[in-house]
Amino acid sequence: MTSAGEMRVHRFSAMASPCEVRADDPDLILAAHLGQIAEAEARRIEIKYSRYRDDSVVTKINTSHGKPVTLDDETAALLDYADSCYQLSNGLFDVTSGVLRRIWKFDGSDNVPSKQQVAEVLPFIGWNKVTWRRPELILPEDMEIDFGGLGKEYAVDSAVLKIMQVSDAPVLVNFGGDLRVSGPRTGNQRWRVAIESVDGESVSTARLEIANGALTTSGDARRFLLKNGVRYSHILDPRTGWPVKDPPRSVTVAAPTCMEAGVISTLAMLQGKKAEKFLKREGVQSWVVR
Amino acid sequence: MQLRKRKKGQVRRTLGLVTANLFVATGAYAQTAPAPQPPASQVGDSSGSVLDDTTSDLSTTVLDSSILFYQEKGGRVQAIEPVARLKITGFTGDSLSLKATYDSLTGATPNGATPWKDPQTFTVPATPPGEEASVTGASGNTQIITIPGTGTQVAQYTIAPDRLPVDSGFKDRRYALDMSYGRQLSTDTRLTFGLDGSFERDYRSYSTNVSLAQDFNDHNTTLSVGVNYEYDQSKPHFGTPTPLTEMNGLPKGPNDNKSVLSFVAGITQVMNRRWLLELNYSVGFNKGYQTDPYKIISVVDSVTGGPVKYLYEGRPRSRTRQSVYLANKIAIGPTVTDLSGRYYHDSWGIDSITGEVSEYVPITSRIYVEPQFRYYHQTAANFFNYYLLDGQTLPDFASADSRLGRFSAKTFGLKLGFKISSDGEFYIQAQDYKQSGAATVPGAPGYLATANLFAGVHAQSVMAGFTYTFR
Repeated sequence: MTSAGEMRVHRFSAMASPCEVRADDPDLILAAHLGQIAEAEARRIEIKYSRYRDDSVVTKINTSHGKPVTLDDETAALLDYADSCYQLSNGLFDVTSGVLRRIWKFDGSDNVPSKQQVAEVLPFIGWNKVTWRRPELILPEDMEIDFGGLGKEYAVDSAVLKIMQVSDAPVLVNFGGDLRVSGPRTGNQRWRVAIESVDGESVSTARLEIANGALTTSGDARRFLLKNGVRYSHILDPRTGWPVKDPPRSVTVAAPTCMEAGVISTLAMLQGKKAEKFLKREGVQSWVVR
Repeated sequence: MQLRKRKKGQVRRTLGLVTANLFVATGAYAQTAPAPQPPASQVGDSSGSVLDDTTSDLSTTVLDSSILFYQEKGGRVQAIEPVARLKITGFTGDSLSLKATYDSLTGATPNGATPWKDPQTFTVPATPPGEEASVTGASGNTQIITIPGTGTQVAQYTIAPDRLPVDSGFKDRRYALDMSYGRQLSTDTRLTFGLDGSFERDYRSYSTNVSLAQDFNDHNTTLSVGVNYEYDQSKPHFGTPTPLTEMNGLPKGPNDNKSVLSFVAGITQVMNRRWLLELNYSVGFNKGYQTDPYKIISVVDSVTGGPVKYLYEGRPRSRTRQSVYLANKIAIGPTVTDLSGRYYHDSWGIDSITGEVSEYVPITSRIYVEPQFRYYHQTAANFFNYYLLDGQTLPDFASADSRLGRFSAKTFGLKLGFKISSDGEFYIQAQDYKQSGAATVPGAPGYLATANLFAGVHAQSVMAGFTYTFR
């Protein structure tokens, strides 16, 4: 990625993604230390919000069987955020849409669910059905909260902020392609980032230079279903339970924080063929691949 | 489906606000004072103050070079000292430092005798013909004479009346090599190992040291301990005189040596963003020959104060030294203030205090000045005397070396630095050092009551140097 042989990269695996931290400082003990701070934060967030862990906050919520759950400040803040995203996206961004996973499996096969299956699962989707009075959450039985659409971006932003509390060294934190820099590299230089999109056999690479802020990329050309010549993308509209038509192959968005970039790129994908228009109207720097 | 016309960028703006709120709520913006990186404490570093920033950047090579010109007033010692140091740091933080020093001293140095109203002649063993004349103690005004009735040659030099006797034609050359290896055992632990050697014709010193530094509290606290062992060989050109025997031109005894074992323990603490504090305690034990073989002490008449004979000085063979050192580095705006003090006490009866302040003042982004002031005061060693009285019992130890006497000293200095880049700097530093002390002692007999017995150094020096970091 970045050119310098001077920068050591701190790599690790978290949130089912390859992660890396680069610190532009010749003091490599500091760089390793900052990498560890980012790694610790990634793991903390992963453990706390993982669907797969018995001890996570998300599991506690999802097994509450309709009973009120009192949440800590961080989770409450994230739910407030989810609530705001739901409102400003008119319901397109919905953290209760995870149950669609039960009927949609995007493995390239032709296993498209039936209309009835979709209809049966729709009652269990909808943030408006959740009672959220901070700090108490009441999630109706059989509904689920899933921070999957926010978790990685939140981890990137949290890691960068934690690093900035202890060091002025310019850093780049990249968790599985969602990345943010704390500022330009020394000498006011920009970080160089390569964006790869894989489409079957071919790999195309774009190069971006970033001095401030975050970049996220939504879309995965490999996740789809194909039936009767119709390609069903994995971008599901939580209001209908069906995939969005004609979404871009990928959308890369630049924004001041990783969370903003992530929400906007998700919303752009959900606009289907109107993705570019949406991004242009929002005045967001973006790159769309169709 | 849009039910209402959205303003341009509305989602983005609202999202921006909401995201900012999120991080305020989760406390991610909490202003904890960022911890600056304190310098790693290298206790065994021979370059001097432990406050020197010895944390070189990783994967760098630093070259330091300087030359010092030193001159004492009154025709005393003059010295030139070039120094070069190379420090290589690997990407793990391990480092190797090599330093080479060359010293060339000439001039005159007091020999320990008191002045007198008549000329005084001092006899020292002669330099055998064919040997180099650059030997400490060989005088420029010496005459080689042969003692009648024997084949022995001796050297003699004469000092004018009313002058503090000095041994002029003093010449010395010294080479020193210092090596230090530092190893980062972990992010928080550093082990340093050093070897040093100093070589003069008539004196050799070898030492080795090991120290361990451990960081705590996110590198805000560093504890360090170190041990140093030194072995010195004294090989005066004409042999080692027996202490408190009469000065003469005969060859003397065999070489002698001493060893020193010392320990130091210290703590460096980042007090806050702008203040770094260091405190350390050190103790050293010297055993062996610590006398200056070239220094004498006058035995004077208890009425006139005139010299009766001259004896070689003698100092105890053991010495325990302790010191406590406190240093502060304080950043105030763009300037940095260094404020330090040391208290020293040893078993020879010398107590001393040192206070030093210097202020680093950047003038432009490239130029800085650093004025400095240092004050020093010491009490005399308990066997120090300007003279001995004829007829009194000889003490076990006696020395008239003014470096063991009671005096105070003030140093005024000014350093000017010019940064050629973020990696390199030239500097020039000038200092004026002046000792002051009592000219005579109460009860001094005859002539000595009004003479000036205090050797008192007043020296000026200029040092020019540069430092450059290769990455």
